[in-house]
This record gives sequence, structure tokens and C-alpha cells, in this order.
Amino acid sequence: MKFTTLDELRAWLNHLAQEHDLIAPRDVDGHVLYRPVASSGEILFDYERPELSTKDYFLPATEVLLRTERRGGDVTLEEVLPDRKQVLFGIRPCDAQGLTVLDALFLQQEPPDVYYRHHRERTTLVGLACPQMWEGCFCTSMGGAPDDPTHLDVLLTAVDGGYAVQVVTEKGAALLEGLALEEREGEPPPQSLPPQSWGGPRGGAPKPVPVTPPEKWRALFEDGLWQRHGERCLSCRICTYVCPTCRCFDVTDRVVEVRPGLTRIERIRAWDACTSTNYRRIAGGHNPRPTKPERLRNRFYCKFCYYPEDFGPLGCVGCGRCIVSCPVNIDIREVLRDVAERSGE
Amino acid sequence: MSTSGINPLRPYLGHLAGVKDLATGIKLFQIELTESEGQAAFADYKPGQFAFVSAFGAGEAPFGITSTPALGPTLEFAINNVGHVTNTLHQLDVGDPVGVRGPLGNWFPMNEIKGRNVVVLGGGIGGAPLRPVIHTLLDHRADYGHLTILWAARSPDLLVFTDEYDNWRSAAETELHLTVDRGDETWSGNVGLITQLLEKVGPLPQSAVTITCGPPIMIHFVTLTLKKLGFTLDQMLTTLEARMHCGIGKCGRCNLGEKFVCTDGPVFWQSEVAGFLESFL
Repeated sequence: MKFTTLDELRAWLNHLAQEHDLIAPRDVDGHVLYRPVASSGEILFDYERPELSTKDYFLPATEVLLRTERRGGDVTLEEVLPDRKQVLFGIRPCDAQGLTVLDALFLQQEPPDVYYRHHRERTTLVGLACPQMWEGCFCTSMGGAPDDPTHLDVLLTAVDGGYAVQVVTEKGAALLEGLALEEREGEPPPQSLPPQSWGGPRGGAPKPVPVTPPEKWRALFEDGLWQRHGERCLSCRICTYVCPTCRCFDVTDRVVEVRPGLTRIERIRAWDACTSTNYRRIAGGHNPRPTKPERLRNRFYCKFCYYPEDFGPLGCVGCGRCIVSCPVNIDIREVLRDVAERSGE
Repeated sequence: MSTSGINPLRPYLGHLAGVKDLATGIKLFQIELTESEGQAAFADYKPGQFAFVSAFGAGEAPFGITSTPALGPTLEFAINNVGHVTNTLHQLDVGDPVGVRGPLGNWFPMNEIKGRNVVVLGGGIGGAPLRPVIHTLLDHRADYGHLTILWAARSPDLLVFTDEYDNWRSAAETELHLTVDRGDETWSGNVGLITQLLEKVGPLPQSAVTITCGPPIMIHFVTLTLKKLGFTLDQMLTTLEARMHCGIGKCGRCNLGEKFVCTDGPVFWQSEVAGFLESFL
């Protein structure tokens, strides 16, 4: 296996930070978040699952799509796309899998999204394998694993004295040119362990979560389980905010400057949430999805029925963030177990 | 840095070439596109397609295109003043810049229904995407059978395209029936819901197709009445409305189950609508 030390890694990251937008896990007032860093000194190397996914760096929570300048009757439009290359260091494998889920819609479904594609192309993903599964984690039930290199460009795994380095893509190999690597005997250790042996938060293997195929979900659309789980939903939308695959967006304009003869406007894209109260309300005031159970049902159907039917992958990677952040303890694993039980799986 | 290739979220630039009052709170906006790419994109749009109109500074919203390419390169939209974007559009003057994205969505299968009798049912501003259907039928009158137009509004002042009624009535094999929910001192015509008018007119289902647009509750009850008259769901076309932010199947806003109104529709056969996992109602 290829091996590097923490010191070499830090030197390489410091160098990268000069030429790239470097995003990495950082301590922000006691919260671990993927955030821009200026040097390796700000980066956490031993951290749990960051509280928010990396979605923000590909489909930003707020993104300027167009800059519009109006001078009298004349309007100019400028498309806004950052020039700099971006490196996401320390991304967890579940978050990288979340990007593959978004790719199925934003890249593979015609027409591709110009902005998302640009962010994907300018970014290299350097993952850091999770040493264990954390509270709420169920990636191993959603086709992933704490050390899954599939969706990354490079995967690092902590080993004695440093990191095992797996080069996954050519893009990853190109980025690694400046990193001092040495060859060592053996394979990166966690890979030799089967998924069942990943320790959950209380030790031991996490209980598997069943995934019911889309066609069986269709029979459960009017099932009482949606009322049961949905009635305690607060429509707070935190589940969609923390989710690596929730992608609904809103588009609006904001006026940034008004001077005599000149108005500058930005067209903004911002995250939206199908769990919000008036999400489906139409111009005449009719709302075909007026209740919380119906809206919660839509979110789960999107992830496990509509998205796989329309675009391929499941809309969930098992990161568990919605479980730990829901203020009323709606637990996606419980919902999935209920669906499996009700459908006789 | 600019993109290589087409950015479907960038509107084509244009300006307001004309604004006309259509009904209380409803104006007809005539837009001339000034960029050659936009003119090319809208060279051959179809009845039932929609587009996003930008009021720069307020945002953009989707509207059914209410013109046909046969009217010339000017695009027309009938827009009700109900929200932020539409209110901003209503304040604009001729010459003011606007943007248009599209054409988007599918369209009424005008070729497939050639030779058949057509019943067009429009409720209020729902008449906007049906005007291109009526124009297409009248422009190619010999290609279609009898045309029955049932046109409704909540009150007389909300009837749209009133200046075209004489043209519609005088066309061969064409009848126009109007109704309003509530009349006023000027109104001597039918008073009542479009479903009552539909029962009264009683179009025959043989070799006929119906095309409906209006509020969801109207579409629902028109469908029930048409069934009573002997029409089957695969004779009924409708166009559905939904709030949306992209029009290209990405933003998620307009989903009905696994369908997207923007890319799977907005035009559907009622036989498809009946199979939807999630109701539009």
C-alpha cells in the first residue's frame, strides 16, 4: 500500500491551499463542519461525521446564478462560475456517495445543470475513511461502507504512524503528485474487515436497515404508517437541510444596488424543502399536499421510490444526520423497518 | 467565466413590445426576443408549452404561452396579477427589458387529434394555454371536426380574450358558449358553473376529444361530467399547473409522485392522471 505521514500530508495541504479552494473538516465553535481552510493547521484529522454534508460545495445553500445589470432599457446577463479549483479534503465516504446520487439527476439527466457540473469538474475529493460508525450511521445498509473508496478520487485510511493512500481516479493521481508517498507491505487495514464488524456507537455491529424495492412502496401510499410518523413532524425542514441528497431548490432575484441609471441584480438559487408547508401550493391557492403526513411521505417516497425509479440510485446514503437532528425523533431507520414490515419484506 | 454550451437556467433577453388589458387584473404581455439564440429557440413552439418570464429584480415564474408562431415572432403571455413576479410584470411599460426561458414541457397532440371533434373547456386564466389550441384549430379548420368551446370565469369582468369571441363564433363548424359563476348588470348570458354548461350543451363523445384547463377543482368536476356524458378518460386531455423553479426536472417543486409537471407534462391524458400515485387535487 501507498503510505504517507501526517507531516507530509500537512505540507501537501498547505501547498494545495495556495492554488485551490481547500475545504476540510474544521472546528467551528464546537461543531465539526466542512469549511474553507487557509492552511492545514485548521484541519481536523480525528473527527466524527461532520454535522452538515458536502452538498453545499456543489449545490450551495445560496448560489448566485446570474448577475444582471440594467442601464435604462439595456440589460446584460453574466453567468457566475468560480474559476478556482477546489479540493474537498477529509470528506466521508457517505458524503461522496451523496454526490454520486446528485450526479444522477444533475449530470446524467438531460439537460445537465451547468453550475453543478462546473463545481464537480473543478473539485477533487480526498476522503478519509471512518474508523467506525457513529450515532445514526447506517451506510452499510445503503450500499456504502465507512471505508468505501468508490465515489472518491483518493481515500486515506489512518494506520500506525500515518495514512494509507488509495488512488481511485486519474484526477486523484494528478492531485497527489505533490505528496511524498512510500510503498509499504500490506493493505489498508479496515478493508480486510467485513461490514458487519463495523462498530456502532455502543460497539457491536449496527442493526441492518431494510430497503424495500420501489414497486412495493406504491402499495403503501395510503397506509396508516404515514399518519403515524408524520403527525409529529414540525415542518422544520432540518432533515432536508442536513441531507446529502435532498436537492430541491428555489430561484429568486435580489436587487444588490440601485443608482441613478443603474440597477444591479443577482439571480439566486437557494435550498428548498418539500417538507415546508406551502411547498406544493399553486397560484390559485390550492395545495395538493396540505398535511404534514403527506409531505413527510413525499420526502420518503422521493428517496426510496421516485428517485430510484426516475434517476437510478436510492436517495439516501445512510449518513444518519436526519436522525440526530430531527427535533421530534423521526427516525428514517424506523420508517424503513415499518415499510418493510407492512410490505411483507 | 462563462459557460461553454447552453445554460438552461439563463433566460433569453427581450423587451415588452406591447401590453393589453385582458380582464380585471389580467394583462396580455407581448414580448420580443432580441437575442438570435432566443429567437431560434422559440421559432417552432407548440400549443400547450410554457416558458419562464423574468421580471428582473423580482424573479421569474412559469406561464403557458398563449400565442402561436403563426401570429409572428412576438410571444404572448396572459398573466394574472397574483404574486411578487406577476405584480412586478404588471408595473412594466412597453420597452422595458424582460427575459424568457423555454419553450418548456410537452404539448397538446394536435396532429394526433386531427379529424376528430374537439371540445375545449377553459376556466378563467386557464384559458391562456388553450388559446393556441383554438387558434391552431381555426388556422387549420378543415383538418379537424366540430369545435365546441366552453369558456367560463368567476364573473364577466374575468373572461379572457373577449375581443376574439366574434372570430371564434364566425368560424366554420365552431360554437362558443360562455358562462360565469356570478353575473352582473351587463351580463345576459349563462350563469353557473362550467359543468352545468357542459351538461346543457351536451357534446357527443363519438370521435371527440376534450381539452381542459382551469383550477384543479374544475378539472376534477369537468372530468366527472364528461364521464357522465359518455366520454372515456383516454378522450380527455388536460394541462396541469404547478409551482416550479426550473422547468427542466431538477428543482423538485412540481412533482406529482414520480412525475414532474414540467417535463412529463404539463399536458396529460386523464387516463394518465388517473394512474398517478399522487393526486393533483
